[in-house]
Formats: sequence, C-alpha cells, structure tokens
Amino acid sequence: MIAAFSPFVALRYLLTRRINLLAMLGVTFAVWASILVDSVFTGFVGEIRRDVSRATPELILTDLPLDTGYEPLRSALEADDAVAATAPRLRHHGLLQPVRTPGGRAPGAEGAELHFDHMQSGFALLLGIDPLREAAVTPLHEWVARSETVLAARHVALPASAVLDEPDPLRRAQLLVPDDVEWLARRRAGLRVDGARAEHRSTWPGVLLGWRRLAYAPWLREGDPLDLLSAASVPTTGGAPQLRTHRLRLAFAGWFATSYRAFDETTALLPIEALRTMLGHDLADPDSIDLVTDVAIRLHPAARGDLGAVARRLQAAAQRALPPGSPPCIVLDWQQQNTVFLGAVATEQAMMQFVLFVVMLVAAFVIYAVLHMMVVQKWKDIGILAALGGTPRAIGAVFLLCGVVVATLGSALGTAFGVLSALHLNDANEWLFARTGLELFPRALFDLQRVPVRLEPAWLSTVALGAVLLALLTALLPARKAARMNPVQALAHE
Amino acid sequence: MNPPVLEALAVTKSYRLGRREIPVLRGVDLAIAQGERVALLGASGAGKSTLLHVLGLLDAPTSGSVRFDGRPVHALPVAERARLRHRHTGFVFQFYHLIPELTALQNVLLAGMMATSTLAWWRGRRAARAAAEALLVQVGLQDRLHHRPAELSGGERQRVAIARALLADPKVVLADEPTGNLDSATAAGVVELMFSIQQQRRLAFLLVTHNEELARRCDRIVRMQDGVVVG
Repeated sequence: MIAAFSPFVALRYLLTRRINLLAMLGVTFAVWASILVDSVFTGFVGEIRRDVSRATPELILTDLPLDTGYEPLRSALEADDAVAATAPRLRHHGLLQPVRTPGGRAPGAEGAELHFDHMQSGFALLLGIDPLREAAVTPLHEWVARSETVLAARHVALPASAVLDEPDPLRRAQLLVPDDVEWLARRRAGLRVDGARAEHRSTWPGVLLGWRRLAYAPWLREGDPLDLLSAASVPTTGGAPQLRTHRLRLAFAGWFATSYRAFDETTALLPIEALRTMLGHDLADPDSIDLVTDVAIRLHPAARGDLGAVARRLQAAAQRALPPGSPPCIVLDWQQQNTVFLGAVATEQAMMQFVLFVVMLVAAFVIYAVLHMMVVQKWKDIGILAALGGTPRAIGAVFLLCGVVVATLGSALGTAFGVLSALHLNDANEWLFARTGLELFPRALFDLQRVPVRLEPAWLSTVALGAVLLALLTALLPARKAARMNPVQALAHE
Repeated sequence: MNPPVLEALAVTKSYRLGRREIPVLRGVDLAIAQGERVALLGASGAGKSTLLHVLGLLDAPTSGSVRFDGRPVHALPVAERARLRHRHTGFVFQFYHLIPELTALQNVLLAGMMATSTLAWWRGRRAARAAAEALLVQVGLQDRLHHRPAELSGGERQRVAIARALLADPKVVLADEPTGNLDSATAAGVVELMFSIQQQRRLAFLLVTHNEELARRCDRIVRMQDGVVVG
C-alpha cells in the first residue's frame, strides 16, 4: 500500500522545485543520445554487415593443400543436397602496371603502379574466378552493374562493363573485351596490331578492378593493357625452393563495386585460367591441374537454417576428397570469413554502448544529487510527517516517487525525441547542408547517399526502462536517508 | 476519575554523546485522563520536550513504559507506533512545522492522508476536504484556505497547525510551547482557541510551557526539574 501522503507531497515537491527539471532534462538528454547514437551506429553496422555479406560467398572451403584441383572437390560438395552451386577460386598476389612503349601514349604520370593498398606497395590481391560459375555463388553481375551507379554518384559517367554479358561463354570466361576495343587500346599503347580493326580478335584476358582505384588511375580506359607481375616460390628436386617470376598481359575490362570497402580497395578479379596458366597450369597441358585455393559455395535456401551443421558436413566431404594425409581443410560461413573485421565492428559498438551507459550513469547521479539535496533541505518536513503518523517507509517513498517521476518523464521525453530525431535525421542533415554547407554526418566520407539509421525495439525498451531503473536505484539512497532520519532531531532543529 | 488515556510509567531517557551517557528523564510517572488539561512546567533543559516526544511515540524511552488507553505501546514496531500516533495523538509545535509547498487547506488535509492508501483517499477525498475546511473555519481561517504558510501570519500558521492536529480526531493533543513564537495578543487568541476546542472535544491535553500564568489555567500543573517530576 502506498500511503496517500507520499505521492501527494512528492507531486508538490516536484512542481515547486525547479531543480527537478534539471534532473529530468539530464535523463532526457541521456536517453535521447543513447537512442539516436545507437540507431545511427546500428544502421552503420547493418550496412557494413550487409556489404560484407554481399561481397562474400555464403560458405567457402579453404585451407586447401598446395596444388589442389577443383574437380574432385566440386563433385564431393555438389553431391550434398544442401549445395546449390560451387565456384573455383584462386588467390594470388601481384603487381599491376600499365604498359608503356616509346611510341605509345603514356598513361597518367602518377606512377607506374596502380596503388592497391594504403601502403602504396603496388601489390594487389588477385582473385582468379570462373565468371560463369562465380555468378552462381556471388552477385558478380550486380558488382559490375553497381559500379556505374557508384561512379555516377561521384559525377563520373562511365557505363558498366559488358564483359559479363558476352554471349560466347569462352570469351566470357576470359573476360575478353570487345575486339575493336582491344584493337584501339593496342594502337593507343603503341603496341603492334595484326590486321585491320575488323579482323582483330581480343586475346588479352580481362581484369576487373575495384572502383576505388579510379582515384589512382583516372586515365584507365576499357581495353588498356596492364602487365601483371608476380613471383612464387617453387620447389626444386633436391634443392632449395626457387623464386620464379611470372608476367601476364591483361586488358582492363572495367570496374566493380561490392560496397565492401576493403574488398574493393585491394582486389582484382581476373579469369582463373589466366592465373593458372601464369602459375604453370595451362589448360592445354595434360599434366596441369585445375588449381584452386578456395571453393565458394552457395546453398539452397532451405539449407540455411543451420549453417554450422552444413559447414561441418561439407568439410568432412571435402576432406575425404583430398589425398590421404592432407592437412585439415575448413568450411567458413561469411561471418567466419570476416571474423576479425566483424569482431572489431561489434567491439566498437559494444564500447559505444558502454560510453552511452556511462552518460546514463551521469544522469542518474544528477538525480541522486538533486534528491539528496532535497532530503537535506526537507529535514523539518520529514519530522512533521513522522509526527503526523507517517511511517519511515512512506516518508522514504516521497523521495523515491520524486526520483521515479523525474526518471519516467525524462525517459519518456528522451525516447520520443530520440525516435523523432532518428526518423528525421536525414531530413535534418539535408536541411543543415542546404542552409550552411555543413553536415552532421558527412555522407561522402562513408560513401552513403543517406545516413543509415535503424531503430531497434529491444534497444529502445532497454534504454527507456533502464533509465527508470537506474534512477530508481540511485533514488533509493536519499529515500533511505529520509526514512532513517530521527524526527525528534528534525523537529527540535530550528 | 476517568481512566488515563495516556500514561508514562517510570520512564527514563538517556542520550549517548561519544562515550558519555547523558540522562534526560530519570523515572517519570505521568498520567493524563480524557478531558484533562495538564501543564508541564519547568526550566529549559528540564526534560519537558523529551517527555512530550516519548509520550507521543516520536522517541522510545530507555526504560519504563508508555501506555495508550492502558495498553503498552512504547515497544511496538516503528510502523505500528506511527499508525498509533496518527490515530491517537495530535501535535502542536512552537514553530508550527507546516509544509511550505502546501496551502493551509492542504497542510490540514495531509493529516488525513498518513494512514490511508492513495485509492482509499481518492474515494473519500470530498468528505476529507469538507472536514478540513470545517476545521479551518472553526479556527477562524475561512478566508485563508488557499494561502501558503509564507502568506500567513504567525498566529494564522499556528491555527493551521491546530486544525491539522485535530483532523484525525485524536484523543490526546500534545502542545510544545505553542505560543512561544507569538506575540502576547496573538498568543492569547491561540490559547483561547485551543482551550475551547479541548473542552468541546474533551481531549486529553498536555501543554508544555514556561508560562506560569498559562499553566495556572490548566487542571493540573506538573513541574519538572532535571528530568524528574517534582510536583
């Protein structure tokens, strides 16, 4: 039972002491900030996870021994009912540089290398793919098509590459640019051309580059020749491994955009057969193998319920297909493939939520300070309430109710403002940009058209209720102090 | 003679100051019957206010007992003592002790809220309000119902305190120097008011005072000195 005088006196204290407004505003601000900041962060994390998942195969078989062939693994994996498609992948590294000849028109003067990482070492992560199979396990066509949209947003009018739309499967598998495009590119580079333009047939395998490299190579045009330089250590009979260099002539086939920044920055997609040839496994060689380092896997939708079980099963099947005594291979889902990055993002979000919790603690402390001050100032009132027959619990309830009302109102207002702010954040951002040229959230920095905002009902209710609970806990201390006050001392003091 | 409604039997009260024990009451016996007006007279430090607090269950005796209607109440749990205090006893203090945020009417209504739930109070609020207004009219404050204490004179504040003490219809009123903070003219008015209400309601009335003349107007004078009743 709550004695009637407790809410009666609490309400009057709240209405007549403006300091309570300060405490309420503190809670309002803390709740508003928690909701708005987390909704933006959750939106960003959602975008990041979506981008990563789009750039990553659903499952990937990796950690394969050297000189592993694709076909036995394909048979073993596709025998499982859960598997819809597989695609071979060959990872390597190399240096891409444009071709220069004395008679040709030199490319951009920024340097001979295409910079693929921030350390400007000039190396690229090469990903050899079978474009036909790759399109069945990843949204490869979407990656290429998206480059046009992404570049247009940056006022660069470049149509998407059409190499994947080539009707001839053999040409498509090599990512060959149109014949006349390669012929013109040869002429531009000062290279020899055999025959007339109409008679030329493209021979250079194509390479697709992440659109972010446009900033370093704005002069690149479709068909421009690029030399891939690579090195690998090869074992020799009875001797130390030998370092062997490789060189491969490629044609720039176009840009791709996955929206996963790290992938777009560092990766070059090229035909797996071209890479195999460079590494000594030419298709025409009867002793060659269909070399792979990974196998990308797409599952049927019905099989996606328990990825872990499917992955373990496929791993066992692949292991059986490998030569006896092979080290263990592994099947990773898209999250496991990006554990470090996703883990870092999750850690950042957790840290941010912790900081917001600290802000909430500060607001709760303000409530404590205000209530403690009220108890001290209302010492005499406490005495008379006791003299009139108020129990210690009911007297403490006066101040506890003050804290609860302040926290509840503050939380309700903060939640309302937080939700409204989140829903209209982009409108506010655009209004501010239109008026002042400033942005609360610089979208260009994050390659976004709009600031991603995602309100999570679980977080909303946690913050709203948590604020009230936290305030209740901090209000207990001054309420307890009031309940324990000696009424005789209070009444005697004047 | 009416049986006592309030009794103190061999009550002692000591306070600890560091390692020292300071006795304030040293075995006090006092009984007040219904309708009786008793003055508690003594110099400062005689223990009058302490005895009043013990009799009103605001403080517990170190030894001895306090009885309401013959029933020992001094050792009851704190919450039970509070409820008894609300039903049985009204207090009037020297410094009024009104809640400054409440109006005169609200200060009186407060006395009716102490032992009732919020829902029960809400259901009976009209009757409670009528009773509070009637009391304020009885003490001559019909035009001051909605004034806050800061807007009232000393005498008016004390009248509000008297009305508040009477709302729960107590059997006993304990008044601790009720005119100590008032000028003589105002004090006389307040005293007349208290005595007339006391007679009307046949209240047991214990008046702590320094004033000999005021004390002589009571049915009985109990003198205290150094924590004991001397006469």
